[in-house]
Amino acid sequence: MTELTLYDYELDEHCYKVRLLLGVLAHPHNKVPVDVHPGREHRSTRYLRLNPLGTLPILTEGDAVLYGAEAILAYLARKYDAARAWLPDEPMTIGQVMQWLVFAVSDLRVASVARSHSLMGREADEAFIERAARHAFRHMDDHMTKCEFDGALWFVGRAPTIADIALFPAFALSRDFGVDHDEYPALRRWMARMRKIPGFVTMPGIPAYH
Amino acid sequence: MRSSRGWYPVSLSGGLDAGRSAGTRLFDKEFVIWRDADGAAHVWEDRCPHRGMRLSFGFVRGNHIACIYHGWQYDSNGHCQFIPSHPALSVPSSIRVATHPCVERLGIVWVYSDSNVTTPPELALDTGEVTSVRSLYIDRAPATVLDYLEPRSENVGADAVTLLSLDAEGQRLLVAVQPFGVEKTALHIVLPTKPNAHQAEARRAAALWAEDLRRHLEEETILTSEPTAPATYEAAP
Repeated sequence: MTELTLYDYELDEHCYKVRLLLGVLAHPHNKVPVDVHPGREHRSTRYLRLNPLGTLPILTEGDAVLYGAEAILAYLARKYDAARAWLPDEPMTIGQVMQWLVFAVSDLRVASVARSHSLMGREADEAFIERAARHAFRHMDDHMTKCEFDGALWFVGRAPTIADIALFPAFALSRDFGVDHDEYPALRRWMARMRKIPGFVTMPGIPAYH
Repeated sequence: MRSSRGWYPVSLSGGLDAGRSAGTRLFDKEFVIWRDADGAAHVWEDRCPHRGMRLSFGFVRGNHIACIYHGWQYDSNGHCQFIPSHPALSVPSSIRVATHPCVERLGIVWVYSDSNVTTPPELALDTGEVTSVRSLYIDRAPATVLDYLEPRSENVGADAVTLLSLDAEGQRLLVAVQPFGVEKTALHIVLPTKPNAHQAEARRAAALWAEDLRRHLEEETILTSEPTAPATYEAAP
């Protein structure tokens, strides 16, 4: 029995990032479903003691606790990917992966806000978040367009990394908040490649096929 | 650029892999573009006749495209051939999607604006080999984009087809103009040279030119303020 436990909410795209990496690594773990909606269990004393910010996912291993999907991805990649493919050692590669992880939690975060506004009625400035999300997707599409000229099919280097995982759900779920994929051809092709990674897992809104 | 009958570019050929579909628009009307298993491109109205779902949300299997809503399958002529909830039903031929004539020239997928036309006028364009650069989507009206590009280029398209030839970054580019919507224009950009192994730099230079062009035309609003929503990214309000 593994000590690794993921506190998870099925509809949360940040939890999905962790499920996706655990899927492609085929790493055994326990999964504890958290009743976020409607139970607000993630804001209960039990969970606030694990993560005072009140967000998911949370990962525990023995007494150690990690929260924030990107931090969890980095830990799992370093510890459980013997091939060092998902977070390579080469210094510039690490810098580039970090650049996209930071992008995922800064510029791209509006996509999560837009989605919970659209699905859960969370308060937000609709025009602003749609514009900002489209701006972020455009930045990603410009990058992947130029990568493809060099035959590079992933955000960093020649193979998928945790950067691809951190960026994937915001774009794959963008129709949830009314942003079509029409204008991002390079991201459409990248999304199709993501779905073919062995061990790929789905979530509501991200089917296996397209 | 007014809506008029004719041929319009909707995608780069190389950007549409076999077995894939994508959505696009002409004068704000929605289209699905898909490529079947045999490599033929199709451009249809983006509506499943059953419930009006966008077919571009669906998926291609062999030479059929299926609606993601209830799985109705359409063959390459737009006829519904199979309804999963009535597997024994021989589907009436009246259940069909409005299809548009579609050809590929110069590495670009072109669609004829009228649906269900069996013999559209020929698209009088060169069949020469090209190297694709990218499709560029600009949040500006087609007329605004053309006002900027036309004085800087030569229209080498025939009849009503707008195909601009221009110099950018010391090389010649062909730019096909798609009137996407009232406030949106797509440009499909190719190098008029055969693909070869040494073109990464030329394509990159053309792609950077395209980004500059978009920035210039949009006078891109720099996002100076932070999102108004709170800093956590909880799934529930």
